[in-house]
Amino acid sequence: MTHTIDAINQQDGIGDEMDDREKVMDLATAIERYVTDGSSIAFGGMGGRDPEAAAREIVRQGTTGLTVLDDARTTLLDIMVGAGCVDEYVGSWVGTSLISQGHNIRNAVENDVPHHLEMRDVSNFGSSLMFLAGAMDLPFVPTRSMLDTDIPTYNDDLEVIEDPLGSGDPLVLVPPARPDVAVIHVQRCDPMGNAQILGNVVNDHLKARAAEHTIVTCEELVPTEEIQRRPEFTRIPFYTVDAVVEVPFGSHPWHCYGQYYADLPFYREYGLRSQDYDEFCEWLDEWICPHEEYLEKVGTDRLATLEHMERTINGASPVEGADE
Amino acid sequence: MSDRSTAGETAAPAEASVNPVRVDRPDATADDYTTTELLAVAAAREIDDGETAFIGVGMSLMSGILAKHTHAPDCQLVTESGYIGSFPPGVVQSISDTILGVDALVATDQCEIFIDNQRGAFDVGIIGAGQIDSRGNTNSTAVIGDATYDRPKVRLPGSGGSNDIMTSCGRTVVMMRQQRRAFTTKVDYMTAPGHLERPGRREELGFVGGGPCAVVTDMAVFGFDDDGEMVLETTHPGVSVDDVREEVQWDLRVADDVRTTPEPTRGEVAMLRAIDPADVVLRGTDYVYEVSFEEWSSTVLDHWEQLRTVQNDTNN
Repeated sequence: MTHTIDAINQQDGIGDEMDDREKVMDLATAIERYVTDGSSIAFGGMGGRDPEAAAREIVRQGTTGLTVLDDARTTLLDIMVGAGCVDEYVGSWVGTSLISQGHNIRNAVENDVPHHLEMRDVSNFGSSLMFLAGAMDLPFVPTRSMLDTDIPTYNDDLEVIEDPLGSGDPLVLVPPARPDVAVIHVQRCDPMGNAQILGNVVNDHLKARAAEHTIVTCEELVPTEEIQRRPEFTRIPFYTVDAVVEVPFGSHPWHCYGQYYADLPFYREYGLRSQDYDEFCEWLDEWICPHEEYLEKVGTDRLATLEHMERTINGASPVEGADE
Repeated sequence: MSDRSTAGETAAPAEASVNPVRVDRPDATADDYTTTELLAVAAAREIDDGETAFIGVGMSLMSGILAKHTHAPDCQLVTESGYIGSFPPGVVQSISDTILGVDALVATDQCEIFIDNQRGAFDVGIIGAGQIDSRGNTNSTAVIGDATYDRPKVRLPGSGGSNDIMTSCGRTVVMMRQQRRAFTTKVDYMTAPGHLERPGRREELGFVGGGPCAVVTDMAVFGFDDDGEMVLETTHPGVSVDDVREEVQWDLRVADDVRTTPEPTRGEVAMLRAIDPADVVLRGTDYVYEVSFEEWSSTVLDHWEQLRTVQNDTNN
């Protein structure tokens, strides 16, 4: 089974603002169009540049039966699992980071609250390779990782073979991840869907290519000429992108390199309140709302402080070339 | 590198900061230190100067930064989210913490990092685990107990990069709490390959990495003998060999000359406390998050500024 990237309809828009605008839409529309009940989905970032706003919109729309195909995933998965959106996770690591645990994920796996979460483990390289296989449109990519361990024992999708070309090496074959949709948050994107990532990339360039559809949320929607000035920052090209949404602070409470530091007190409060399922449901009532409303609740001063922290530590944006 | 504005503009007035690298008698044994600090120092000493060290967040990252500030100024730190050469001025809260970008040499993607790892580019890795057996095989996926993988007794976070690091890094240091239930005769789920079931097995599989070389715990430091069996090498001050045996399920091999783990120096402890002044990792306190948002942000900015000053001194 192959899945080609349909680039023909996506090239028309070069330099044509009117056609380009077809991809630009609001967050609710993008999620409604591409994330439906039972979809498989991959998220970008990894404890930094995570598309948190998009995930909250998925929860707000009450989408269910999702399979999350991923590498390591933190708060947004924990929120979606607690809200009952996710049935299955395929990836390398779940939890949070230093200051709280993934309470909902554990509760779903161990106690079926709110319902069971099925886990299929791979290693981190395994998750990179499943997106690489998906991006290359191949039935598998081989690796030495995971050999002789229980990862292939419990993940039936992985196959251990001897090198058919005769080296005698055993290899683990990693099958492709082909999510229905990838949701990636980046610093800058143009209306065509050329997405520029500053700082680390994680697996985002592969996820966009492996997915059937890609939603890019961005801190700033910029004209194509801005992209053309620094093409080396474009890691996700227009032909892999279906929807472009401008979502300032779209990673809050996580980091967004060059834009804002993580709001760790907010995140810690989530960690505390998600320990108890009833309190988590109150957290959901409080924070699952349209993104503009969410930002108002967080507060302008607080967001400005997070921007100041990031400027302090990582200086001026390399793209802008000048501090504010 | 672009100029950084100083944090002082908005930071709360701080008390005169003591420059940790200028502590009196830095090579003298520390007067007071915690077990966690001893653990961090012991792990840092596993990184040699000039090495490329594959690290995670929390304790392993702190050990890496400490190594860079002390005996291994030319080591380079690598993280799986895509940064190489980071010199973060403080505690890293997540694997894509933007402070990993500070002074980094490379910001790339995860696939590339693990391609280089599988090629044998990284000298030493540091991982954590929930369970370990006598051959250094580790479990960080699930404590299954009497239950099943699908509904385990305790679901742990999963491999992350630990499987890939143990497979392919030159050697791997495992940091753990010393507990009988964790030092088990058989791990419930083998997430990362130690010395597997017998000597020579790693070579048969074509692994470029040497596997676990040390296990550093809050009670002791272990190495591995030629058979790939864990051997007790040093116990921390005040801990006896029998104390350690109590916390291990199997018949532990013990070196002929078990010594006492060298204690941290004054310089090392002062440096660690500069990296983590709010004790987020070292003592697990939540002080820095229990204060108001404003106090948190100014405290963090203040810490960064202090450690940047120290780092500039180190670099010069």
